[in-house]
Amino acid sequence: MIRVQGLTKEFHDFTGVFRALDNVSFSVPPGEIYGLLGPNGAGKTTCLRILSTVLKPSCGVAEVAGTNVMHDAAAVRSKIGFMSCNTGIYDRMTAREMVEYFGRLYGIPEDRLQPRIEEIFDVLNMHEIRDRLGSKMSTGMRQKVSIARTIVHDPTVIIFDEPTSGLDVLVARNVLDAVDSLRDQGKCIIFSTHIMREVEKLCDRIAVIHKGQIVDEGTLPELADRHEQPDVEELFFDLIKKRENDLKQQNLAEQVV
Amino acid sequence: MAWKNVSLIFLREVKDQLRDRRTLFMITIMPVLVYPMLGMGAMNMMLTFNKQLRTVVVLNADELPDSPALLVDGSVNNQWLNDDADVKSIRVVTDLPDEQPVTDAESPEKNEPRRGLTDAQLVSNGEQLAKKFQSLLNSTDTDEMTDAQLSAIQSRLSQQFSESGIQVLVIIPEGYAASIARLKTETARADAGNESDLPVLHVLKNSADDKSSVAFARVRDLLQNWESALRAETFAAASLRPELQHPARLRWVEIAQGEEVAANIWSKMFPALMVIMTLTGAFYPAIDLGAGEKERGTMETLLISPAKRIELVFGKFLTVMMFSIGTALMNLLSMGLTGQHMASVLGGAETRLNLEFPGFESLIWLLILLIPLAALFSALCLALATFAKSTKEGQYYLTPLLMVVLGLTLFCLMPGVEITPLYSVVPVVNVALLLKGMLLSTSQSGDLLMYAVPVLVSSIGYSALAIWWAIDLYNSEGVLFREAEKFDVRQWFVSLTRDKEPVPAIPEAVFCFLIIMMLQFVAMNYLKPDINAADSDRQILRTLVIQQLTMIACPAIFMALILTTSLKATLRLRMPSLTSMIMGVSLAFFVHPLSIELSGFMVERGILPPPPPEISRVSEILSGSSLPAVMILGVLAVTPAVCEEIAFRGFILSGLARGGRLKVAVIVSSMMFGIVHMIPQQAFNAALVGLVIGLLAVHSRSLFPAIAFHLCSNTIASLHAGNGFGLQPDGVFFSEVEGQLRYETPTLLLCGIAVSVVIARMIRDLKAEQKEKHRTAMKSFERPAQNESFAAEI
Repeated sequence: MIRVQGLTKEFHDFTGVFRALDNVSFSVPPGEIYGLLGPNGAGKTTCLRILSTVLKPSCGVAEVAGTNVMHDAAAVRSKIGFMSCNTGIYDRMTAREMVEYFGRLYGIPEDRLQPRIEEIFDVLNMHEIRDRLGSKMSTGMRQKVSIARTIVHDPTVIIFDEPTSGLDVLVARNVLDAVDSLRDQGKCIIFSTHIMREVEKLCDRIAVIHKGQIVDEGTLPELADRHEQPDVEELFFDLIKKRENDLKQQNLAEQVV
Repeated sequence: MAWKNVSLIFLREVKDQLRDRRTLFMITIMPVLVYPMLGMGAMNMMLTFNKQLRTVVVLNADELPDSPALLVDGSVNNQWLNDDADVKSIRVVTDLPDEQPVTDAESPEKNEPRRGLTDAQLVSNGEQLAKKFQSLLNSTDTDEMTDAQLSAIQSRLSQQFSESGIQVLVIIPEGYAASIARLKTETARADAGNESDLPVLHVLKNSADDKSSVAFARVRDLLQNWESALRAETFAAASLRPELQHPARLRWVEIAQGEEVAANIWSKMFPALMVIMTLTGAFYPAIDLGAGEKERGTMETLLISPAKRIELVFGKFLTVMMFSIGTALMNLLSMGLTGQHMASVLGGAETRLNLEFPGFESLIWLLILLIPLAALFSALCLALATFAKSTKEGQYYLTPLLMVVLGLTLFCLMPGVEITPLYSVVPVVNVALLLKGMLLSTSQSGDLLMYAVPVLVSSIGYSALAIWWAIDLYNSEGVLFREAEKFDVRQWFVSLTRDKEPVPAIPEAVFCFLIIMMLQFVAMNYLKPDINAADSDRQILRTLVIQQLTMIACPAIFMALILTTSLKATLRLRMPSLTSMIMGVSLAFFVHPLSIELSGFMVERGILPPPPPEISRVSEILSGSSLPAVMILGVLAVTPAVCEEIAFRGFILSGLARGGRLKVAVIVSSMMFGIVHMIPQQAFNAALVGLVIGLLAVHSRSLFPAIAFHLCSNTIASLHAGNGFGLQPDGVFFSEVEGQLRYETPTLLLCGIAVSVVIARMIRDLKAEQKEKHRTAMKSFERPAQNESFAAEI
């Protein structure tokens, strides 16, 4: 459903060239939650933005539901739902108006849109806030609206980019439950986070990413066995340290050459 | 583009903006409440200020002649006032012993001390002022004092006057009534008398004090009317005809109708207001829709939706434009009505104006011109606001635009500035001046209509360019996902010298252009006078060579050495193909007649100004110098060809083309090439020719065909200016006008066809090449990345 191979992204600015993603490859089948685990600045958001077609890769292949992101960006956009950490909610629109707006942008016919909105509002228990303006919503409410907006067009692929960032435990739990239920519907989900417990609870497979490269990938038991580290948090630190050491050695080798 | 999506985005943005208090304040509260309130408030304050009682002290009032009487019972004689209401605002205090100190019987402040001063004190202050003034007069007459002493007395007098509580002091000289009576008698006897016998009535005022100025204006009218009556009496006593008082028989005839006066006022008010309010109306919505969207984090959400970037931009653009037009119209209506009301209330009975609104035709023009203006501002504001990553940053970017537009608006308001062919294509100025003309006089609207097409076409063109820029920014990852950049000079400098590339970056190319521009300004100030005042042709040529080498070639070569890793790649120092060289040389021959005739046409039509004197000096050298022709051509043809090409098709074009947009790079570099020539006629020619040379350089990947073109073009131009062609005018291909060889239509047609064919071939080759590049690039997305970077592969 999602296939990424050799994905590379370079940014140019006044300080020179910065490689945010370096030869990243993975794939995610339908009905699976794939966790992208990495510290801030690891390259998670860049990778997800390429998958959602708002950034173009410098090199490599990224396919979403069988469509190459470089060949038909519009088709890819209509198949995915993307929820970022900064909820992306309009302050001067009500919950209903926002979900309707995006539903119409996704081209859902009016006779199907209204039942779909009712269905989502039922599932996410949003009826109380349907006519509330974005500026009057709590963080949890905003997150619910964001999820509703993300899934209004019933996408086959859903990308969550640190969706629990800045949320309290209760709201975060609601979000995680919603993601879990989407997996049960057979959606292909990428879940980016830097919180280990979320990965442990939610993801079928994970990839630890640091400084633009995937350090290791697999199910949590596989990784624990491979690195002989049953504690998820310690495992994460070990993998990050490994990548740091690799980079140091690489730099040293370059200087010697 | 799906208009359904555009309409969806537009409706959402409009609803969002209407829920924003700031927008509502700008388009409704400001015009409906604030302007009328401010206008009325200011007007009432002015009226109140004008109606306030002003103190006028008259000293030696008993010396005034009985007839005509300036004062009646110690009060102002009403018949000398232009407006009867003024009597209530002048409070006369005199030194007459038998009268009441306050002379205005109707004044509520009657008998009340003023600013803590009684009338006796006011008179006493007046007398002290009069003494000091007299001593100043005496000193001035006798030349006993130095200038410093006189200045000190004047300063003390001024200070004392300000503290005296008197707004105007009238000093009647001793024996004034007797002197006036004697004047009448002598005039009646037709005796010229002695001029020095006539005493002078002094009126002291303080122009630095507004209250004194207002009081003086009333006293001046009063005294002038009184003096006129006195003159009439004197003439009557001498049995002279009253008309002799005004022997020149001057009469001012105002032929302007009320509506024309109104049109004049609206023509100054409406264009300026329209420009400023259209921009202001676009300002805040654009920031909210551009930078605000990024700040709230909704931009990314929107970009992931299936709506195309062009649809997003159009939806937002139409929203900004709607609010821009709405704000302008509301403000124009409100300011117009407020101004109309103020004009009808302010001023005296004679100066009150009935400001009728402009006619229907003018208002229609206002609406027509408002649309492209709003489109231009909306697109510009949206593009700039999109570039910003926060609303605060958006305001920083948009403020310079506001300043530039204010400058252009002030220019349009200057008296005598009217629309011309040149102004009709200058953005903002064209719309403002056409509207000014349309409002000023409907009788001339026929003449003005010929400007309507260039104004509308150019304005729509600029708007389209601005929209295209906004769309381009929406497609730019760097702009949409720009992170907060902390600019560190040290890091920047290190990165400049450490992370060098074979060719310069776009900012470096722009910086090189700015340096050359700055040096050209220096050249304008220091070298132009040298050229005009040079004694010999050799001196002029030396100055020109120095200018080319130091101010154009050196910056580019120096920057190429410092900022790039390959001088060869940057300056395109590759061996060209023979075909490219032939194309360069032949194009120069074909382009020359076209550029000469086109710029000549522009000058003849007044679109471009005629060349300045220093060009004439150079022409003189070309036509009649004793210097060897090789030397002249070496300076005027070879040096610019090499130096300018190194800078513009070398460093600058290489830098601009690094972004991969060859078309934009060629256009921008040619515009820079034009601008750097400063003189309008040369700038126009250079910009056009720059397009051809830029294309040639990009097509051949070498600087040498560009130098060959430039060299040939300059040589032909030099020979043409110096009449060195040896071509005889045959009336078919060539003719001679005022000693200049001119090209006829068949020559221009042939040249036009030849140039078109060569350019078309170059464009076709470049397109094919780019297609191939794109194909190679797309291939890389089909396979995993290798170690080398994508940029290196390309």
